[in-house]
Amino acid sequence: MFAAIARRISLSFLILILVSLFVFLATEVLPGDALDVSLTDDDLAVLTPEQLAEMRAELGLDRPAAVRYLSWLSGALVGDFGNTIITRAPVADIIMGPLRNSILLALATTAVAIPVAHFIGILAAYWRDRAPDTIVSTSAIVGYSIPEFVSGNALILIFAIWLPIFPATIVLYTDGPILEMLAVSILPVATIVIGSIAYLSRLLRLGLVEALVSDYVERARLAGVSEWRVVFTHAVPASLVPTLNAAALYVAGLLSGIVVVEKVFAYPGLGLELINAVLKREVPVVQATVFLGAVGVLLMNLLADLSIIALDPRVRRSAGRG
Amino acid sequence: MLLDVKNLTVGYRTDDRQFRIAVDGVSLALDKGETLGIAGESGCGKTTLARALMAYTRPGSKIVGGNVFLDGTDILALPDRQKHAIRGSRIAMVPQNPLSSLTFHMRVGAQIDEIVCRHEGLSRRQAQEKSVALLAATGMPEPDAIYRRYPHELSGGQRQRVVIAAALACRPGILVLDEPTTALDKTTELRVLELVSQLREQFDTALVYISHDLNVIARVCDRICVMRDGRVIEAGDTRKTFASPVHGYTRRLLDAIPRVNASGPVRPLRADSGEAPILEVTNLKYRYPATGLGIPFSPKKPGTLAVQDLSFSINRGRTLGLVGESGSGKSTVASVISGIIPPGSGKIAFDGVPLNRAAPERPADLRRRIQMVFQDPLSSLNPRLSIGRILMRPLRVFFAMGHEEARQEAARLLERMDMRAELLDRFPRQLSGGQQQRVALARAFAARPDLIICDEVTSALDVSVQASVLDLLLSMQAESGVSCLFISHDLGVIKRVADDVIVLQSGEVRDAGPTSDVFTAPSHPYTQLLLEATRNVFDVRPAASDEAALAVQ
Amino acid sequence: MLKKSGKRILRSPVTMIGIAVLTAHMAIAALAPWLTPYGSSELAGMPFEPPSREFWLGTDILGRDYLTRLLMGGRITISVALCGVFIAIVAGAFFGLAAAWHGGMIDEVIMRLVDTKVAIPSILLVGVLIPGFGQSVPVLILVIALVYVSGVIRTVRALALTIAPQGFVTAAVLRGESNLSIMCREFLPNVLDLLCVEFAIRMSSAILLVSSLSFLGLGISPPTPDWGLMVSEGVGYIHTDPWLVIYPSIALSTLVVALNLTTEGVANALGLDAARGMTKG
Repeated sequence: MFAAIARRISLSFLILILVSLFVFLATEVLPGDALDVSLTDDDLAVLTPEQLAEMRAELGLDRPAAVRYLSWLSGALVGDFGNTIITRAPVADIIMGPLRNSILLALATTAVAIPVAHFIGILAAYWRDRAPDTIVSTSAIVGYSIPEFVSGNALILIFAIWLPIFPATIVLYTDGPILEMLAVSILPVATIVIGSIAYLSRLLRLGLVEALVSDYVERARLAGVSEWRVVFTHAVPASLVPTLNAAALYVAGLLSGIVVVEKVFAYPGLGLELINAVLKREVPVVQATVFLGAVGVLLMNLLADLSIIALDPRVRRSAGRG
Repeated sequence: MLLDVKNLTVGYRTDDRQFRIAVDGVSLALDKGETLGIAGESGCGKTTLARALMAYTRPGSKIVGGNVFLDGTDILALPDRQKHAIRGSRIAMVPQNPLSSLTFHMRVGAQIDEIVCRHEGLSRRQAQEKSVALLAATGMPEPDAIYRRYPHELSGGQRQRVVIAAALACRPGILVLDEPTTALDKTTELRVLELVSQLREQFDTALVYISHDLNVIARVCDRICVMRDGRVIEAGDTRKTFASPVHGYTRRLLDAIPRVNASGPVRPLRADSGEAPILEVTNLKYRYPATGLGIPFSPKKPGTLAVQDLSFSINRGRTLGLVGESGSGKSTVASVISGIIPPGSGKIAFDGVPLNRAAPERPADLRRRIQMVFQDPLSSLNPRLSIGRILMRPLRVFFAMGHEEARQEAARLLERMDMRAELLDRFPRQLSGGQQQRVALARAFAARPDLIICDEVTSALDVSVQASVLDLLLSMQAESGVSCLFISHDLGVIKRVADDVIVLQSGEVRDAGPTSDVFTAPSHPYTQLLLEATRNVFDVRPAASDEAALAVQ
Repeated sequence: MLKKSGKRILRSPVTMIGIAVLTAHMAIAALAPWLTPYGSSELAGMPFEPPSREFWLGTDILGRDYLTRLLMGGRITISVALCGVFIAIVAGAFFGLAAAWHGGMIDEVIMRLVDTKVAIPSILLVGVLIPGFGQSVPVLILVIALVYVSGVIRTVRALALTIAPQGFVTAAVLRGESNLSIMCREFLPNVLDLLCVEFAIRMSSAILLVSSLSFLGLGISPPTPDWGLMVSEGVGYIHTDPWLVIYPSIALSTLVVALNLTTEGVANALGLDAARGMTKG
């Protein structure tokens, strides 16, 4: 069991290093460095070559790429992402508040989506190919076929404009109190929840349908074990194993969705910060947000893997899902 | 009458929404303490019948007519609650595949506990005591330890015992066993069958034993029903049925059983030509590759030894049978000689040429001269290629034939295999299992090999089909003079085809020599055990082929 | 086999609706330049004109005919998604088969690179590439290919790993066939079904991604008519002219829903399961 856990953790760490390398290469080495990317043509017209060289030195861009990467990585691993190019403010300070807000959004979404998705998925699987299943499966397809910016705007239109119950956009500071943030983020959460429930309930349904036609469920039924026990102690835990594997992949999709939702509702989170940074070509902020996003995905995947180890005694011994 | 089944009919809905009948008006009866065998080949409806005896059908199937009286009450007419209460307590099932039939994430003890708790209302503590006692009753040495294990931590035989313990948990009046030993090795099967007979007496239970293997039914059951296409075509006392079957189909089934303990040679021995052997293996050793934990730089565990110091030779035109159970290393030997895996240490000489490399590095002519036929006929044929393309490929690779020439040759090959040439444009899935295996044989013979390696080629087939495939192999061999390495777990099959035999256990040779000697006077206890496990219980009717063979002599 | 699948599709009304809507969308996208009365960037009227006989759906903020832009608005997104996903499928099939067949180091390297890509959410991946590579249609196509290639590699590899131990592959190896021949004759025909389903699944996901990027200002640039872009242009006027947001939203949603319903129906009929593959990326 320890070997299996150790393998997952060491792999996650390896992937994190590869991600950091990719982020660094994509933004700083090819085809120009952070300064080239950040400066507009207007800036270049004003600045003299000496000034440029001085800025490079100040930003450490005159050092070789490998050295720059290692110093960036060693900073990133302890939460120091350097300073912004334009205002020279520490990146860590800028993204702290938005990071908290985005995590809040993600947690609120998960807290709503997971129980509801389970309920719906189990319902659909148990009455497979009958009315509840057809309704759930079809509306699930519709649910995740609609992009967040469409469903978000639809919710704004209905619940903020036609029926003015909620605010259309979040006009709070980046570091508003948590409870206030939660209170105003009902619509953003609802937007992401729609797609997540649709996707997760389908996954659960599929896993449970497979489990319910398995030999072990049949044996339990033929032994007279009650239907409730068959479903909830035999089939559901078994169905979680393939579901968790697939859901781990969904985490990345969830984060993409959060970026869009933050833009729709002007929610002061990391996604909004990223989009502004990309449009302003503020490379250090882009690097930091993408790196943190990957950390989030990897942590969730690790959590899924560890849950699978807990659920499925078979993988405790083997080297893993490969 | 304990169990009385009248006109039971079960149907199911197919993928294209038609309703088909799987069990067609079956009637049977079972008295207290009786043992009834239900025999039949795949698809005859015996498993559907077994479930219907418990008033249970799979999703998509439906009991459309008939009655199942248990102690005089028609259980099909009972409300669901009472059906649930009967299952597992008064009539219990031992399923086919114990590994997939136990919930993988639950300890086996908990899976017995829940049955006891449900039907007898015991507390958890009492349930646990009872479960451990049940596990002990199935003859497992450390029932406490087994109780706490997960299914994947047990061996095949242990799992089967767990499933039997779970079925007997509430002392049911009837135990339905659905092919309970098909997934097991013969020696394990023998022990499980002995256990079943012993527990049957101890628990005073009537048995319904479902199997494709008439030999096993003969071992366990007083009475037998033979099923075909959903109907019972013959029923009666087992011994009498074996001695004088009424129905032609039963007779054919009985004839098709390979005979292990028939007296005399089953077919004329091929003369030893006196030439140098076609294949000589000396001191072959093979170790599985080392496995690691998957953590970088962590130490690796050395692989286990699959084959230890094996030496044998095959003479030209003769067949060497390699017998062994799972894990004996017999398939490893096949893989090494055919070149699927590179050889370990030791020497292999094929017609004087050393075989010290895997197939892709061997000269093309050597690859042609050694051909292999696999166990599962369906997966050995590419489902997306027509039979014609499958057969033409070796002809084009080895003999550089043009399209037309290869196609004609492929058609000729099919005809030699007793198949029509129209099959060339069919796809593997449109063929029956026996036809698929003939195509696989044809593909091997297309290369005009000198040595053909058959790895369990008939284990996936029904007995009647197995017999015809073996006949075909023998006649092809007689025609072409090819030598053969025939690997099987089934001593009856080996006796039918092999001139010489080697018995392998855990990678080591236990017995070796001419087939007739080894079968009549086995020197090693393991061989004796194997022979006992596959012994024909009622060998009252000499098989037709034996008569023919004797006539030739 | 094909006939059976066809029957199953015909029996499912939901799938038939999907196919009908999808066909209509494809026809409009293909024929839009001949259907539209105005040029897509032509300032044909005054800004914010209400629907009239001249402008059936009114005009947008700049006075361009909204119907014209709506009909034209799917073309670029669909084309970008199509090209990107096609590259992803071809490359994914190649690397997936290579990883499964060769195993060992090659497999390890390919799969760790896939893991790395999977750890970066797609929109963040686009975000990290735009500063350095700029924002253009060719870059967008390559980004889409990069986003989806990892999923294709994973599914193809998983299927290929179940094919590899089968007898017909072993038989080909024993015949001494080349790796290329084994790939093309033995593996490829057996993964084609899967590739078709993958293509459809990734298409719908890619259309969503491209329009989301356009909405965020990271995708297709103005003045190209594009649904995502049209929504982002209209959002500022959602209080007064909600239709500027509603029309392109409906167009986009119906397209993706129809595509997914079709995929689901066809995949079910072929006996493949599409559910685990469908993500927004």
